[in-house]
Formats: sequence, structure tokens, C-alpha cells
Amino acid sequence: MAETKRKKTLEPANSSKRRKGGKEKNWKKGPHLPNALQKELNSLNPTYGSDEEIKSDDDIDVYEYEEKIPEEESKKNRRYDPVDNFEYELPKDFEDEDVASDDDEEEKGDSDDEKHARMLQDITGLPGDAFEGKKKKNDVVVFEAYPESEYNPSRDVLDGDGRITVDDLLNPLHGKPGFSKIRKDVQRIDKKSMSIQPPLPKPQQQKVDRRSAYVYSKKKLQEYESLVKKNREAPTIYFDEDRDIGYSTVGAIASEFKPRTEFEKKMASLINTKQLSEAHNGDGARLLELNKVSVQDVKERQDRLAKMRNLLFRHELKAKRIKHIKSKTYRRLMKKDKLKGASATEIEMNPEAAKQLAEKEEFKRAEERLTLKHKNTSKWAKRLKKRGFDAQDDGTRAAISQQLQQHALLTRKRNSMHDDESSSDDSTEDDDDMSADEDDDASKLKLLENGKNRTLEVLEEDDDMPKSGVLSLPFMVRGQKKKKEAAEEEARLALQDYESEMKQLDGDDDSNHNVSLSGRKVFGAQKKQAPQSKKKAKVNTDNYFDNSDSEDDDADTMEDVNGRMSYTQKDVNIDSNILREESEIGHDPLFKSFDDISKAQGPKIEYEVSLPATNSLKKKGNKKDSNQLKGKTESNKSQVAELASDKEEHDSDTDGEGEGGMVDGMITSGGDYELPSQDDLIRRAFAGDDVEEDFEMTKQEILNEENPEPEKPVLLPGWGQWTHIQKKRGLPSWMLAEHETAKKKRDQDLKKRPDAHLNHVIISQRVDKRAEKLQTKVLPYPFKDKEHFERSNRMPLGPEFNPATTIGSLNRPQVVKKPGVSIKPIKLRKH
Amino acid sequence: MQKGRHRSLGRTTAVVTQHQIVTHRAAIGFQKRSRLSVFKFKGHPLSTAPPSPAHQNPFRPPAAAAAFTPTPSRRTQNPPTLTVCSNMEIQDFSDDIDVKVKKYQRGEGADLEALKDKKLKGQLANREELFKKSANAAAKAEKWLMQTESGLLEPEGIEKTWRFSQQSIVQEVDVASRKNQFDIVLPDLGPYTIDYISSGRYMLTAGRKGHLAIMDLHTLKPVKDFQVRETVRDAVFLHNELFFAAAQKKYTYIYNRAGTELHCLKEHGAVRKLQFLKNHFLLSSINKSGHLHYQDITTGQIVGNYRTALGRSDVLQLNPYNSVVTSGHSGGTVSMWKPTTSTPLVKMLCHRGPVTAIAFHPNGHLMATAGMDKKIKIWDLRTYKTLQTLPGHAKTLSFSQKGLLAASTGSFTQILQTSDSENSQNYNRYMIHTMAKGYQINKILFRPYEDVLGIGHSSGFSSIIVPGSGEPNFDSWVANPFETVKERREKEVRVLLDKLPPESVMLDPTKVGTLRDVKRREKRTKAAAVAAAKNVAVKKKTKGRSKPSKVARKKQEGVEKVKRAFVEDEEGVKKKQKRIVEVSELPVALQPFVTKKGK
Repeated sequence: MAETKRKKTLEPANSSKRRKGGKEKNWKKGPHLPNALQKELNSLNPTYGSDEEIKSDDDIDVYEYEEKIPEEESKKNRRYDPVDNFEYELPKDFEDEDVASDDDEEEKGDSDDEKHARMLQDITGLPGDAFEGKKKKNDVVVFEAYPESEYNPSRDVLDGDGRITVDDLLNPLHGKPGFSKIRKDVQRIDKKSMSIQPPLPKPQQQKVDRRSAYVYSKKKLQEYESLVKKNREAPTIYFDEDRDIGYSTVGAIASEFKPRTEFEKKMASLINTKQLSEAHNGDGARLLELNKVSVQDVKERQDRLAKMRNLLFRHELKAKRIKHIKSKTYRRLMKKDKLKGASATEIEMNPEAAKQLAEKEEFKRAEERLTLKHKNTSKWAKRLKKRGFDAQDDGTRAAISQQLQQHALLTRKRNSMHDDESSSDDSTEDDDDMSADEDDDASKLKLLENGKNRTLEVLEEDDDMPKSGVLSLPFMVRGQKKKKEAAEEEARLALQDYESEMKQLDGDDDSNHNVSLSGRKVFGAQKKQAPQSKKKAKVNTDNYFDNSDSEDDDADTMEDVNGRMSYTQKDVNIDSNILREESEIGHDPLFKSFDDISKAQGPKIEYEVSLPATNSLKKKGNKKDSNQLKGKTESNKSQVAELASDKEEHDSDTDGEGEGGMVDGMITSGGDYELPSQDDLIRRAFAGDDVEEDFEMTKQEILNEENPEPEKPVLLPGWGQWTHIQKKRGLPSWMLAEHETAKKKRDQDLKKRPDAHLNHVIISQRVDKRAEKLQTKVLPYPFKDKEHFERSNRMPLGPEFNPATTIGSLNRPQVVKKPGVSIKPIKLRKH
Repeated sequence: MQKGRHRSLGRTTAVVTQHQIVTHRAAIGFQKRSRLSVFKFKGHPLSTAPPSPAHQNPFRPPAAAAAFTPTPSRRTQNPPTLTVCSNMEIQDFSDDIDVKVKKYQRGEGADLEALKDKKLKGQLANREELFKKSANAAAKAEKWLMQTESGLLEPEGIEKTWRFSQQSIVQEVDVASRKNQFDIVLPDLGPYTIDYISSGRYMLTAGRKGHLAIMDLHTLKPVKDFQVRETVRDAVFLHNELFFAAAQKKYTYIYNRAGTELHCLKEHGAVRKLQFLKNHFLLSSINKSGHLHYQDITTGQIVGNYRTALGRSDVLQLNPYNSVVTSGHSGGTVSMWKPTTSTPLVKMLCHRGPVTAIAFHPNGHLMATAGMDKKIKIWDLRTYKTLQTLPGHAKTLSFSQKGLLAASTGSFTQILQTSDSENSQNYNRYMIHTMAKGYQINKILFRPYEDVLGIGHSSGFSSIIVPGSGEPNFDSWVANPFETVKERREKEVRVLLDKLPPESVMLDPTKVGTLRDVKRREKRTKAAAVAAAKNVAVKKKTKGRSKPSKVARKKQEGVEKVKRAFVEDEEGVKKKQKRIVEVSELPVALQPFVTKKGK
């Protein structure tokens, strides 16, 4: 291969030599013949200039493959013009440095590209080939070693020149039927020569569609513009112009009737049969004919009816027989069956029934709990109990046991519910038991005892204070302690109550004792009474006592005189207890500490006096209180003395008040004032003395009230005053500045007042909250300007304020519409 | 000699008869004249309509009046208006109409050009158009329906109106009006005070020594006349003639027309003066200790009880325009009150001595006060400035529907009138009337819809004719002198339905329905204050001073400071509550003492 290549490169040089000799014409043509034949041919047609060749041939005897001369050089078919070489020939041994460029220069057509390439090469320093790319491909050498075929395309095809045209394809069809038609079509297509674009991608296509649709619909909508504008601007839109309420009469509705359901259709087909309609149209005689029924039909019907009647009768008989059965067992069994059947079937099927059953069950349970019907409370059971169970036969015993079982069954749910609760439940059970008992008092007693015990427990219970954690913090401990104390207090109170109640209950028979006991709480009076007379137990209702001591005393004395009987006292005492309880409930005992009350000195003195009666136990840290707590064993002399002194104080107070009231009364409730008296005259004479100044002062007061003057800046007392520097410096500047601004603000506010320039007028700037409700807080929606809103509201709209001709249009709503008429979309009316 | 004009008002509104007899006495010319009343204030539907009729109230067109006047009742409206033909004025009706239209438009519409919202602009423009239409229709209706004109005394040459005596006037007027001039002498039961029902048909008189009487002024017969044998200081009609309230020695009582005592209003105390706010159904009173009470007479609830703190007051007058009650005091001050605030709306120093009388012009802008300092002052209530100061004492003052001012002292009464030019508010002497020596006038009051001034004095009461004082055209929607029983009943229901809440009494009733002033700062809640304190921007300070820790600390301090203020507040509230609770715990008998001491 390398050899051939070398030859190929050398060959042109030889050929060019030959061309120089002007022997191109003598170049062999025709098929390639062997030398011997060639010789003979040459001898037949002698050609000039073939000597050399012959010579050479002569020189080289051996067969040598001769390469074909390249076509462009062979000048076959004169495809290449002969070019004379006029150029200067370089000596053979001359070697150009840049061969590639030399070669290129020969071809003029490429020169521009070449130049460009060269320029690029110069600039970048890369070989020119790097930039060419495509061009190089053209230099591909194609060997035509194989015949041209689809596997071995010719050079033309590779270059892209030798396209297969439609004509090429058509030619073989020449003369076939339909050829002319195809040819015409092809010609037509050729003439038009329009290339068809490939379809756009889908989203793009859609976009285009949309755009065009928009343009179209826009144009369409613009037709409505005037109509819409008109509606928009109209103060009122009417929607009831072309209303169609529908049929006005029943007849109209009936006439429009169309059968829809199967049944209706059947009926309609029957009614609208030709015969029938004809009969209607004619006289009624034909209708009668149509009414005829066949004998068989009638018979069938009669039979059916008879059967039914028979069945009914049998059923009736059966029911009667069953009704007459008196056996209870039968009934019970029947009932059971019925229930079972019902429950078994229905409950499964019907949730409603299930619910009902559940309710019934629940009701039964509740009933049982209420009545305790099955707990041997019936007469029968009681009798049995009385006679003793041992005496009964087995059946009765079983019955009783069954009853009890039923009770257990019915009440079981409750127990199960309450079982898990704490001990308090026991007590409730106890209660229940108790309530079942006949002895009420005993039950109460027990209850009270229970309560007492519980409270005692609470009292005795020593709260173990946590030694660590948040709760051990001193203030928490304190708080806990306080709480505990309060709780204890309450507990003690409760205890007291229990005791008193118990004693009351105990001493139902001896009332005297009771009086002394109950008197413990209302010690103030009691103590006083005690020495006076043991027998004089008195009415000690708290209310009464609260009113005033002196009154109480009076009452005492009165009672002394009257010598009331003791049996009334008992009742009264019970009353007092109840009252006390109520009062205690009324004012939460925990919150009313004595300290508070004692703090409020002045007006509360009366209260203080009355306090011992109601809340004696709460006065801690008070001697009186402690005394009370110790009870009646101690001598109460000192208390009495204290009380007396208190009372005196109180009396004097009330006296003073009374006097004051009296004086007031004197002043205010003077006689009816008819004529100007001396007093009045004097007042009048002096009233106008300095009226203006007075008014100025009042105005100032009111101004100060409504726009208060800023407080004068002061330092904290003692702050920075222990050296003279601070004093010298005075107040800090920021304080002064603050004061100054506040002052300025006030001045401005004062200037803004409507009465700023009117010395003789004070216009109150207070806002009346109730009147403010009559004004709007914010502007209603479409308005942006206060003035527009207020101006638009200036006209009243009522019928009293406007002529009848305009009242309608003034008050017409924005939309007028008949109820029940649907609003249809806008219709474009063509004019 | 005699000329009279009869007009009928009703559907026909035609002049029925018109006798015109030329008078020989050229000295008195009674001239027909149309007087315009220009109202500068604008109205509001919710505003407290003045108790006087609609014609002082510009809101009401006369159309309704015509439509609802049941019978074309004939009456003589303006007794002394006699016409001299030669002097007949040709009136410029177009001018007239313009003025009326303006009145009914109630001010200008807002400038719509500046409005950007097109929709709103269109709506408002539509509205304005409708308003204009309505005003035009109303003005036309007024022109054609309200033709009766008010009377007038017109002097000729050197004649003065105040020289005409009642005797000379009564000779000129028609027979029906002549009966409006009468005297009733009741010398025993002391100075009388009078009150008219708003239609002017019934008069209530109350003698100081316990004489109460209602009189029908059309028939001139007493409806009821009875004695309570107790001092009666004042008496007023309630919403119609069926009920009236009398302030007696100890309590105020409400009676019905038959003289049956219906209620005893003990809360008011010994009342000196009564006023009835008929749009609000409030009875206001001032008692001898200077406490002002408002009681709703429909529910019986005491709406307001305020201490004036200005001493005893004998003067209490209602401003018919805004229903603000005004009291005059011994210090020369006049204070205006509304039922829902404990402080006076306005306090004015009007006189140097005690105030003796107050009266209000029906349009609500003029107030006349009289004081012991021998001055009568006329005030403009829009500016609170004196318009005019007249010399003289006045025991009582009264404005008529047409704006005449009557003042009387002793047995002398003078009636003042504004000068002819429309805008002038200068009151000049118009008429004078002197009673018999020794009669002490107690109260004067113009009768609505009639040219009559009622005078209650020490020995009875009398009524005199004052031409041009009353409104010639009545509106049956507002007040109908010829009301039937059925109409009265219907009206009672309607008025009760339209009853205004007490808070709607305010100085400027047109404020109702407007935008609230946002000047008042809402009381800040604690959370808001804390949030504000947290958001305070910290100034950048020198190096080291605005370290984050310092800034945080400073902010925390601010928050604490704000919180502290609220803590104090809360504590204060708690303390107050506690005290109250304690007081209420006390037994009933002790409570009064505690409150006294607490104060």
C-alpha cells in the first residue's frame, strides 16, 4: 500500500512532464489491453510520441501494475480544462517550509477561507486544521474497489450531490396505468414548491390556541360592555321584568301533565285508548258497553273474597280462644316467648329497638334502686321475715332468694361503678342504709358523728412538710401553713357545728340545756345573760343581735319582764342555728379575716360589735377570741367589760351620727320656702359680689380636671440629699425637660378647646360614652372621606320628611326582584 | 270699617273668602306680607325635633300636612291681618322658591370632583339628584299648600306699633280671634303659672295655692278644675292633654285629665320647676336643693339625678331644638344639661346677679336670659356670645314660634321683635301691655299656632293678642289643634314608637350618625402597654453602653415600669371593691351611717 501511495504522489510529477511534451492526446483510450495486443494495435494505428513509452517498456520487461491515472488528470471527456503552466518552476530540490499553504494557494476558490484560517492560526498559534473541521472531510479518498451499490455508495452520494429525485423514481413507472396522474401531481407539487412545517409542540400549540380564543372572546364580550355599564351605573336594577311565574290555574297544570312513572304510563295508555276516547266523544252509551266484565272474572273475584273472609274468621276464633285462657303459666310463657322473639330478632335488626330496650332496662334498674321493691320490703317478705325463714318451705325460701338475687342484679351496676371510689363511698352507702332505716334521728346522729370524726382526723393529721424542693422554700412553707391554718379553722368551725347539732339532737327533750349550748357562739349576749339569770334564755337570732346592742338589751329586759316560756326558745334557737349557717355560707368564712375589719376603723365600729356573734372563732391573736375558744369555763368578766366599753363607744358614735343627721335634717328640711326671706335676701345680695372671679376659678378647676396639670418633678425624699452638691445642682435636666413638654402639651390642649377664648363659658369636653354609640367609629366601606359620608347622610329619608313623589325613589333598594323568580344571566338584545 | 280674612287650610287650600274693606283709620295698616324664614342649620332625621311645629323644623315638607289634615277646618289664622289693596306686594316667587329649595336641601352636597372611586361617585351623584328633586317638590308644595301668612302690625307715618293697645287691636280682628283675648280673674289662689299643649288647644293653669285647671281654648270651657290644697310650684303637660305633672309642696304628682292622681314622684323631692322633653318622654325637674332629675315617664325609671352644685334654682328651661335643659342660678351662671352626664355640657356666666329667666328661640340658636342685674341678654348659642343686651328686669321670658320675644316684670309686659331686615337679630320693641296695678305677672307664654300671649299673674290669667307671633300653618303630623280623639290615640302610639333614647340629647343633634372624633385616646390595656415598652428602640450609645446585656436590662426596666403603673391601678380597684362589699355586708339599719362617714 505504501508503495502505491508513493507512486501516486510521484505520478503527478511524471504526468505533468508528459503534458509538457504535449502528448496528452496520444493517451491511451479504451479498455486496458495486454501489452502484446497493444503492440499489435499500435502497429496497426501508429501514434507519434509513443517511442519513449515503448522504450521504457522495453527497458522494463517485467510486468508491472500500472496505476490508473487520476481522473482529473486523465482529462477524460474533457472535463478538466487544459491549463498551460506558465509559472515559474522552482528547482526540484527546493523545499518549502510550509507545504500546506503552498498547495492551498493554488486554489483560488478556497482562498478566503484559507486566509481566515491562516489568520486564526497566526493569532492562536494552533495549527490551521484545528479550525477547519468539516473541510478536511472533503479530502477523504474513496476507493472504488467494489461496484456501486447501496452498501457501497458512490462518491457523489457521499458528497450529497447525487440525490435521488422523484423523477428517478418515476421513470421506471413510465407507461404504467396511473402514471400520468402521478406525474401531474408531482408537477403540481413542484410548481407550488411549498415546504410543510412540522407541527408545533403541544404546549405551544395550546398557547397559540388560547391566545386566539382570548382575542375572539374579547371581541365577543365587548358587545356586552354597554349593557354592563348601564347596569353598573343604574341606581336600581330590576330583575322582574320578564318574569314567568308559571301556570296560573289548576286546569293549566293538569293539561300539561305528562305520565312519567310506569304506573302513570300504564294508566295513560288505558285512558287514551282509541275506543275510550271515541266513546267519550260520542254519547255515553258506548262507555257502558266498555264497562262489561266477563263472568269468569267475577267468579274469580268472589272466590278470592270468600277465602279471605274465611281466613279472617278463623283467625278471629283463634284469638278469642286464646283470650279465654286463664292460665298464668301460659301467659308467662307466652310473654317470655314474645319478649325473647322480639328481643332476639328485633334488637339484632333494629338499633332503635335495642336502644329502647336498653332504656327500659335502665329504667327498671333505677326503679329498683328507688323503690327497693325486691329487697324484702314487700308486705309478703316482711311477713316472712317476721315468721322466720326457717319456718318457710323450700319454695318460699327460693322465692325470697330469687328476689334478692334480682335486686342484686338490678343494682349491681351501680355498685360496680362506685366500687373503685375512695372511702367517701362507704359513707354514701352508709347513708343509703341509714335512709332505709326508720330511725331518722339516729341516722342523723351517726352522720354527724361521722363528719365529726372525719374533721377531727383532718385536724389531728399532721401535715408532713416537704424538706426539700420548691415546697420547702420559706415562702411556700409560710403559704402552706396559712392555708392549713385556714383549713383547720374551717374544720374547727364545722366541728363546732357538728357538736351543736348533735347536742341539739341529743337534747331533744331538755331544751334548757340546749339553750346554754347554742349560746356559745353568740357569746356576747350570752355572757351577759348568764350571770343575769340562768332561766332567761332568750331569743338569739343573729340578725336581731346584729342590729344593735342596746336594742338587744332592751329586748332582754323585756323578756325578763315577760318571762317567756322555754318551749318557744327551743324553736328559736334552732332557727338561729340555721340562720347562722346561712350567714356563714353567705360570706365565705375563709375570706373574711378579722384583721381587715379591724383595720377599717371609723365607720366599721358597729360592725365590730356585731362581729363576735357571727364570726367569733376567727379572731385570732385577739384576747377575746382566745377566751372564746377556751369556752364557757373561763370567767367572762373582762370580756363583759370590754364589750360594755365597746358598746359605749358605739353608742356614743351613733349618738353623734344621730345628732349630725338631726342637724342635717334641720338644715335640709326647712319649712317650705315661699317668700324671699332675710336669709335669701342676704344670699342674693352677696351672690353677685365677685361672680366673675368665682367663675374663673371654677373654670380653672374644670380645666385642671379635664386636662390635668403635670405633676411637679420631685426627687425621691432622701435621695441624694446627704451632700450639698445635689442640692446645688437641682433636679436632673431630663426631669425638667419632661415637665416642660408636659406643660406645653397641656397648654396646646387648652388652646384647642372651644372655650379657650371665651372667658365666660365652660364647654365640657367630657365624652359621653352612651352618646358615642350614636356615632360611627369607622367610615362605612365605600367612603374614604368623612365629608362625603356626612353629606350623603344629611337628608332624612322618611315619609314625614319627603314628598310622596320622591319618597319611593329615595328609598328604593339597589336590586328589585320578585321572590321566587330566578335571576337569569344578561341577554344581549339586538337592536 | 271691618276687614277680615278667612283662610282655610286643608286639601283645597284655596282662599275661601276675602272681604276687604278699606279702613278709614289710616293709622293702622295691617298688611299682608309673606315672611320668609331662612334656617341656616341643617337637620338630621335623628335629631331631636323641636317641640314646636314642623315649620320651625325645616325637615318637614308640608305635603304631609295637607294630606293628613282630616277636615278642611276653617279657622281664622291671623286675627289682625287686614289688607290694604294698594300696598299689595308683588312677590318674586322664583326667588322664594330658590330659598325654599335651599332650605329643603339642608346644605350643599359634598364636592364629588375630588372623589376617585368612580362607583361611589356615581352613586352619590344619583343621590344628590334625588335630593334635589325632593327639595324642589317640597318647596313647591310649601308654596302652594302653606299659603296662610302670619299677621303683622304695621304703622304708618309716625305711628309706633307699641302704641296700639289691645282694645284697638281687638276692634280690627275677626270674631273668632276676638275670643282669644280674655281675662280670667281668680284672686284667691295666688299667682298662676301656665302651660300650653304643643298644638295650642289646651291650657294648663296652676295656682300657687293649689288650684289646677285645664282649659279647652277653642270652646273656652274648663275641662277640669280642681284644688289640691297644697302649694303648687309648677305644672306641665306631658305628651298630650290627658296627662300633666304638677310640682307640689313635697312631691311631684302626675294627674290625668279628670284630675285623678296617677303617680307620686317622690324621687324628685320638692321640685321648683318642671320641664317635659316630649321627644324623649323625660320629665326633668330641679328641686330646691339644686338637684336635677330626669325621669322616663313611660317606664318610670329615673334616668339621671345630678347635683348642680350651684345652689337653689328657680329657672329651668328646655331648648326645643336639642332638648338640652338649661338652668339658671344665683351666681349668674346658666348651665346646660343632658340626661346622661353628671357635668353640665356648657356653663356660662350670663349675669352679674342671679338669673331670673331663660327662654329659647325655637330654632335653638338664640337664648335670652334675664338677671337681677337689670339686664336682658340675647345670646347666640353657636358662638356663645352676646348678640344684644337690653336694659330691664324680667321675671319671665318667652319666645314665640315666629321669634318674638316677650319679657315681663311686675305688671308690665313688652314684646320685642327683630327688625325687618332678614339677617338682623336686633330685637326692638314691638308691643307693650300693662296690666292693672298690683298684678304680679308670674309667667308668660306664647300660644302655639295662634297670635296669642298667655299671661299668668297673681290674680288669674289673661291672654292678649300679639299679631305675628304664632305659626300660621300647622302640620298635623307634628301638632294638630283640631285633633280628634282617634287621631290623638294614633299619635300617641306613633310618638311612643318614635321615642328617642336619653343619650340622644346633645348640644348638636346633627352629630348623630356622623363619624366619631378620634381625638380621645383609648385607655391602654396592660398587654398593649407592655408590648409598646418592649418595642422601644434603643439608641446607639457610646462604646460599651449599648452592650446587648445592657440593652436587654434597660428594656426589662421599661417593661417593669409600665407594669408597675398597672399594678397600682389594680390594687386601687380591689380596695374599692372590698370596701363596697363590706358596706353591703352590714345590716340594713347600719348602712346609712357607714356611707355618711365614708364620704
